Amino acid sequence: MISLRNIWVVAERDLRTFVNYKFMLIMRAIWFLAQIALFGLIVNKMFKPDVELAIGTSYFNFYAAGIIITLLYSTTVFIGYDIYEEADHGVIEYLLSLPVSRKELVLGRSIGGGLRSFIYVSPMLLFVLYLIGVTNLLQFLVAFISLFLFAFGVAGFSITLAVSIKSSDKFDILLGVVDALIVRLSTTLYPLVYMPNYYQAFARFNPLTFAADLFRWGAGIESTVLTNPAVAVFGIILFFSIFTFLGIILHERRLEGGGWQ
Amino acid sequence: MPPIIRMINLTKKFGNLTAVDHLDLEIEEGEILGLLGPNGAGKTTTLLMLTTVIKPTEGTAFIGPYDVTSESDKARTLIGMAFQDPKMLWVSTPWDVLNWHAKVCGLSTDERKKRVQWILEELGLWNERRKTVHTFSGGMRKRVETAKILIQRPKIAIIDEPTTQIDIVGKHKIWNMIRTLREEGSTILLATNELYEADMLSDRAAIMHKGKLLVCDNPKKLKDSIPGGDIIEVVLEKDIPKKSLEEVKKINRVVDVLATKPNHLKIYLNKAEEMLPQITEFFLKTQAPIKSIQMSEPTLDDVFVHYTGLTIEEAEKK
Repeated sequence: MISLRNIWVVAERDLRTFVNYKFMLIMRAIWFLAQIALFGLIVNKMFKPDVELAIGTSYFNFYAAGIIITLLYSTTVFIGYDIYEEADHGVIEYLLSLPVSRKELVLGRSIGGGLRSFIYVSPMLLFVLYLIGVTNLLQFLVAFISLFLFAFGVAGFSITLAVSIKSSDKFDILLGVVDALIVRLSTTLYPLVYMPNYYQAFARFNPLTFAADLFRWGAGIESTVLTNPAVAVFGIILFFSIFTFLGIILHERRLEGGGWQ
Repeated sequence: MPPIIRMINLTKKFGNLTAVDHLDLEIEEGEILGLLGPNGAGKTTTLLMLTTVIKPTEGTAFIGPYDVTSESDKARTLIGMAFQDPKMLWVSTPWDVLNWHAKVCGLSTDERKKRVQWILEELGLWNERRKTVHTFSGGMRKRVETAKILIQRPKIAIIDEPTTQIDIVGKHKIWNMIRTLREEGSTILLATNELYEADMLSDRAAIMHKGKLLVCDNPKKLKDSIPGGDIIEVVLEKDIPKKSLEEVKKINRVVDVLATKPNHLKIYLNKAEEMLPQITEFFLKTQAPIKSIQMSEPTLDDVFVHYTGLTIEEAEKK
């Protein structure tokens, strides 16, 4: 029996910890503004009017919606680094000794890790919506809730990687490679129609594509979206479920099997 | 009443190293059991298995009615642990650490605030409650760690070296709080390598060495089990020759002699007060001037020496 109270108490801890990373939070916000104000605007000028004709909106709008998903992803994976910080201070052993089940612990951490980055990204997300505009509120709400789930899934993914690897250096390198592949092979930065067919095959099943397409669909720039929103929502739920399940299994097998390295 | 903790053939191996070797031990409800042994004896590994942080390689343990290998979630609802090394992020404050610990253990808001304030005041940390723990000394961090269990008041409190790095006044305060915890209904498993601490607090002491349980009984019986009820400790000006050491053993009523250092002897014997002049005379004859001499009763340290042939320090080095 899962206790929602326990899940929330675990999540609350990760929310509180996040506030301590002031430097990271400020730098990420500056990174976001630079991407929008420099890269987005300049590349938009380069692509006019070909891209607008192909996707039915400006590249700037397309990019602004995509970069917010990239920001949400990169802020959420930060919870993996928390795991290493905790391993250094022995906090993992402490968490495993508490009267909460492994399911509650992993779910709480996924939710906490996702929620904290969602809260952080929200003002920037609203700023992007202000730039793009919202045409259908109901569509936007569906997309908004799906992004919550997406963030929880990314947190579960990061926790799973961190617990599997047990080395912060390897985790850092692997995350760089995963980031290069998962972001570049998605529709966050460029429309699917411009990708070669063999890249499209990966991009169509990428959770970042699901999230970016859903957000664009929610924001009303549907002409850029090739994924069926229902499929995207299903894909995100699947992504969240798989990595939460893996996180629970790994907590039970790898950590309890002999503690942290 | 059945024991509240039962360890059955409990074993943990890390590769070729057997950290805990087929441990069988039972702890009664309301008891304080001191788990004694040098560093590396397997105490902490045993505690981590009981708290379900790591899984046994072989055997199992029961916490109340719950098997730690198959009902770990239920077992943890009865347990609270204060770790040997403080487990907290250094960006946290003592207030946050303890408040969250109390919350995750299910205390109501009012009770939580009351207990956190009480423990911070008792342990002299109230004025530092909003400072991050990275500014704290080792002793202060250790107090925060031990405070977790004192506010949680679990059915079974597992405490790993609660007073390491803590000054003597703080030690007495924590010892009193541990006794109060027991009076309020907790069963306490206390791991320590401070024999005096175990002697002061425990109803029974279990001595571990190299992952094995050597002996478990109440401290008085353990001390009585040493042949020769008294000890004369002699510190000499210079190292004692091996030949003289053998001669001491031959003195009437001397049961055993242990050289804890080349010039430091522990002589186990009966009726020490009557034997003192004879012992003094012996060393005068052997041209080994006495620096100091004193009579004492056996301690748990002597019990450890009796069962392992080593002092705690020697055992740690090996």
